[in-house]
Amino acid sequence: MHVDTLHAGRPAAIALRRSRAFNPTLYAFALPATLLFVVFIAYPIVWVAGQSVYTKSNAAEAIFAGLGNYRSVLTDPTFWIVVRNMALWGVITIPVQMLVGGLLAYFIERHTNALRGFFRTMFFLPVVTSVSVVSLVWVQIYAPYYGIAQEYLKHVGIVMTNSAIGDPKTAIYALIVVNIWQWTGFSMLMYIAGIANLPSEVLDAARIDGARGWRLAVHVIVPMLAPATKSLLLLGVIGTLQTFPIVHLMTGGGPNRASEVFGTFIFKQSFVLGDTGSGAALSVIVLVVALVLSLVQIALLGARLSPAAKGRAS
Amino acid sequence: MNKKQLLAVSAITIALSSGSAWAQEKEVTVWSWFVQSTMQKSIAAFEKTHPDIKVNYTYYNYSPEYVTALKAAAASGSLPDVIGLQPGSLTQQYRDNLEPVNERAAKEWGADWAEKVFPVNRKQMLMGNPAGDENYYIVPQESQVLCIWYNRKLFDELKIAVPKTYEELKAASKALTDAGHIPMFQGAADGWQNENVFLMLANQFSPGIVDKAQAGETPWTAPELVSAMKAWKGLFDDGVFQQGALGAHAYPTGAQLFAQGKVGMMALGSWWMQESKFPPPLSEFVQSMDGFDFFYMPPVKEGNKASPPVGGIDIGYGLTKNGGKNDAAWTFLAELTNGVGLQEALNDLNDLPAFAGHQPKGDITEHVKQLSARFMEDLPKAENQRFASPAVAEALDNALAGVAAGSLEAEAALATVQTATEKALAAK
Repeated sequence: MHVDTLHAGRPAAIALRRSRAFNPTLYAFALPATLLFVVFIAYPIVWVAGQSVYTKSNAAEAIFAGLGNYRSVLTDPTFWIVVRNMALWGVITIPVQMLVGGLLAYFIERHTNALRGFFRTMFFLPVVTSVSVVSLVWVQIYAPYYGIAQEYLKHVGIVMTNSAIGDPKTAIYALIVVNIWQWTGFSMLMYIAGIANLPSEVLDAARIDGARGWRLAVHVIVPMLAPATKSLLLLGVIGTLQTFPIVHLMTGGGPNRASEVFGTFIFKQSFVLGDTGSGAALSVIVLVVALVLSLVQIALLGARLSPAAKGRAS
Repeated sequence: MNKKQLLAVSAITIALSSGSAWAQEKEVTVWSWFVQSTMQKSIAAFEKTHPDIKVNYTYYNYSPEYVTALKAAAASGSLPDVIGLQPGSLTQQYRDNLEPVNERAAKEWGADWAEKVFPVNRKQMLMGNPAGDENYYIVPQESQVLCIWYNRKLFDELKIAVPKTYEELKAASKALTDAGHIPMFQGAADGWQNENVFLMLANQFSPGIVDKAQAGETPWTAPELVSAMKAWKGLFDDGVFQQGALGAHAYPTGAQLFAQGKVGMMALGSWWMQESKFPPPLSEFVQSMDGFDFFYMPPVKEGNKASPPVGGIDIGYGLTKNGGKNDAAWTFLAELTNGVGLQEALNDLNDLPAFAGHQPKGDITEHVKQLSARFMEDLPKAENQRFASPAVAEALDNALAGVAAGSLEAEAALATVQTATEKALAAK
């Protein structure tokens, strides 16, 4: 190698070394975010993990229990009802919300003009409505005999004899319907953003090649909306594990724990029964499940959750 | 002195003088789920008689807000001076954070102060304490008596008499249903209302049996409790409760329908009288409680008597360790539970007093006075409605829901309550 070449590389190497050297000013920029993360996320997680190996009921002293709380939670039949309910919740709500939200987005964006804003607002309204209001309204809708649905059904000779949220066999499905109703607007909004960002030249090229209607939607638009779909999948799984207010307000996890979910189960153990150890153990289990599911999704689907991220990654 | 200097000196003087005024005013912090408008009246009356004390009240919905706020504050040592409590499990959860009030109460009200508290309340004040701990950690403010309220205008209109037997109760429910009304509204999605009705039934079969069962002196699978559980199921099957009761909530749905005259009966308690004190517009039924009267659950089995009064502490207050360092906190607590604060709550018909010797005053009709007097007559003989262990209450809630839904048999359901009781007693 020529000496000049070596010398020519020296200033660049020095600059690189300088940039890698400790520079307090640069670290200071990261400090606020790091502090927020440590105080509001890392510390509570470590604290809860610590609580999960102690038992403390009522006013008794905390006693080290090792993995006792985890054993007790995993052998509790309610835990497995919760696991089943969470699986049903995720398997039903995520695809249905994506499908209905995607269809709404497609038809609103492609087939409405003057009323586009109106339809977008109407379908998004449940997302921004208070969960308390949603719960109250849906309890009334499900109520037989004096409920809202019954008022309409009686005109076609149908008499509701039971409340869907009052039957252990149907309670979880009734809650899933409410959740889908409330959150489909969010999926729609994500897909609307995705459709708005589709490059028009690609769509024009597809049309010139003869793609129309169903073929255009399935073979061109749906694949190009993959980043939005992946985001919804990831958010859907996390949202499923965080489910609490709808269930707490409508059924309280009943009847007889039939609609219990992780949120209500943790709440009862920690705040109603005062068994903070079991509540903490459950919280750690949920955290691990969320982490594993997120990592699996990222591994299988990739971390490109938006077209912009895709551009950067490539 | 120029203008700027004059302004600066004036500002400093004002700041210092107002600062010294603040320093003289003592402050008490209070958290509770107690009706905000009534609490504000109690605080206003208290501050009028104690102008040197300012009370800061924070209202929370009971669940989940209040219970989570208490837990977080207890963990961080930042509980307010005075907290609203229910006897038994909630008090026990915070026992370590509470001051025993025995000495303060004796100094305030005399050595025999506990004798002035109604017996069922006194029992509940010690509920869940470790053996040998005779300290009181809760001072009750109000009591309640559970009952079946009925719409007497509807009953008159449909020519229904107050049911004296179970057959009459079924007939009354049928008449109400046939006329397009809800017979007896049960918010069976809420555990508390289910517990209340079960307690009425169980105490009818054997007074005090639930207390014995939760103390481990009688098994939950005793024949009387099994019969009570079957009677509970009967209320659903016989059309006494409305269809779909398991998915319904007593508040706000049931209470609103009841107040509007769409419901014939509802298992509530003496607190229902306060509906007449809420801001207008009020329905013709709620106005001065004109549309309402109460009875106790009629005998559900031949040979039984009607349910005895069941009740106890509606709400009480505890002095936290933080409040123990603030003399003004006890002063407020004492007035709130047995003084000017209580009187305001009673005048608002919030519920019955926990201490003997009080009654509502002010703008109250003869009918309401009579209702209140009947409750007060029954309160001293009331059976206990509270549970020492939240795990037992939770197990009973699940058992009642399971039986009502038909997914559990009475015996099997009560066996789960027995298991929970044994576990709770072993952990004590």
